[in-house]
Amino acid sequence: MTALAVPVPAGGTPSGTGGTGRAVRRPHRVALVVWGLAVTAAAVYLVWLHSLADEARGGTSACAVPPADGLPSCASVAAITADDVYGGGISLVAGALAHLVLPVAAWAGAALVARELETGTAHFAWTQGVSPTRWLAARLAVPAALLTAGTGTLVLLHVWARGDGDPNLVGDWYHPDVFIATGPACVAYALAALALGALIGLLVRRTLPAAGLTFAACLVLHNVMTRFREDLWPTVTRTGGGELPRSAFTVAWSERSTAFHPRSHYWPLQFMETGLLLTVTAVATTAAFRLLRRRTA
Amino acid sequence: MTETALEATALGKRFGRKGGWALRDCAFRLPAGRVCAVVGPNGAGKSTLLALAAGLLAPTEGTVTVLGTHPGQARPRVGFVAQDKPLYHQLSIAEMLRVGADLNPGRWDAATAERIVAGGDLDPRKRIRALSGGQRTRVALALALGKRPELLLLDEPMADLDPLARHELMGVLMAQTAEYGTTIVMSSHVVAELEDSCDHLLLVGDGRIRLSGELDELLAAHTRVSVPAETDLAPHTVVESRGTGRQVSALIRPAGPLPGDWRTTAPSLEELVLSHLRSPEAPALTPAARTEELPA
Repeated sequence: MTALAVPVPAGGTPSGTGGTGRAVRRPHRVALVVWGLAVTAAAVYLVWLHSLADEARGGTSACAVPPADGLPSCASVAAITADDVYGGGISLVAGALAHLVLPVAAWAGAALVARELETGTAHFAWTQGVSPTRWLAARLAVPAALLTAGTGTLVLLHVWARGDGDPNLVGDWYHPDVFIATGPACVAYALAALALGALIGLLVRRTLPAAGLTFAACLVLHNVMTRFREDLWPTVTRTGGGELPRSAFTVAWSERSTAFHPRSHYWPLQFMETGLLLTVTAVATTAAFRLLRRRTA
Repeated sequence: MTETALEATALGKRFGRKGGWALRDCAFRLPAGRVCAVVGPNGAGKSTLLALAAGLLAPTEGTVTVLGTHPGQARPRVGFVAQDKPLYHQLSIAEMLRVGADLNPGRWDAATAERIVAGGDLDPRKRIRALSGGQRTRVALALALGKRPELLLLDEPMADLDPLARHELMGVLMAQTAEYGTTIVMSSHVVAELEDSCDHLLLVGDGRIRLSGELDELLAAHTRVSVPAETDLAPHTVVESRGTGRQVSALIRPAGPLPGDWRTTAPSLEELVLSHLRSPEAPALTPAARTEELPA
């Protein structure tokens, strides 16, 4: 699995940073194994779901009673259960990916910085020839790389397993879970959780409060994004009657006009959301480094 | 030796914007190659002073110079063992030593670290969390010495060692200074623990440096006198005086020759320390203060 091919964090001398990276990973074996297993299991599940896709599509096809015009009989279509398994599986994965930010937040808040400050092992590292800034850089870079690789792989597999994304089977593109789990925003959420975890851990310096606060912060971030996602790009307004295109994300509706996002707005909305999340990530990371540099020599 | 291992100028540290000063107006100089005892009661600021020297804290005011440079720059050449001996509890001893090797590329002396661990009959496969306090101290010292430090900062290093282990590890430390000229700074609130092995003293009380200098010189600068109660002790500096009926027993810093009829004795290190701690208003004796006090 790509997630387990551990990259060397960027910056610093090659030998020194490699050593720091190793030293950072060693105490986090459990998190590393859990993440590796979770990514592998989800990947295998997605490949299996993809293999069900064709059969599943048969389960939602048009039918006729009695069979006519080349359409299958409705009894035979209803007998196909693959669509339920496939649709259920895909929405399960989408839900898990969309909410990945929350466990990452709890872990990052607790384990990334706060626990090390609470037990003093951070001080151990800082007096072992590693400057606090390099320590934090290594602590952020390794999980960031692993989260990007793992989440990125799963998002791609998820998109591939969704096939043509038939909304009857796998849900509409603008459904919050589907939206997050099919694009780069998913990776950006994980990275924002990581950076917020580091910052809050530095501020609170206690494991449990840091985990709780980071979780809460990311829950708020997730919900605020979901609430205001529709405002991230100008809507299309259609006046008068007429049917909206399939899979239109209706934002406002009155008798005379409808404001909505057509499917083509998927990418602009993804880029806006990803950009905002990466801004949060960058601000939190900068603040964490500033704070650490001000506090230590 | 004229090289300076540790030097502080007007050093102060305050925790929080409204918090009290843990350390203030500290000025001292420690030449390289010394074994220095940092002595003082609990909460006097010993740990803060060591953490500032180790670069774990940034000073609120003043400066501390470590091995001729900024504490952050000196980090690879400084070993530090914190009071609570923080180690990764989930790792085994061998893995912990490997972390030390990873974090000190180019400096790590595996043989020394392993020798210190082996001295305690410890199985390298044993997890840190299964170790006793004393065994953890041993591993922490192995990690600090494994990086071949030029300056070793130890915060209450011997607190949870039994007398046998204390004696053995003290021997290891002394061998280290003898062989490599390592400067050792160790704090303790047990004075007797340090008397035999240290040649330099830093007495910290209430966030200030009360005494600093070579142990011999500090002891020589003080005299315990026993005189009749009405005797005027001026112009000598009185650190502490206690009346015992018609006699007064005082620890003084003689400003010149003492009258021949005064009964004098040389104070022990413990007396010197306790007298200063019992009298917070007594003037400090530090290199900076000495020049004011004794205009030569």
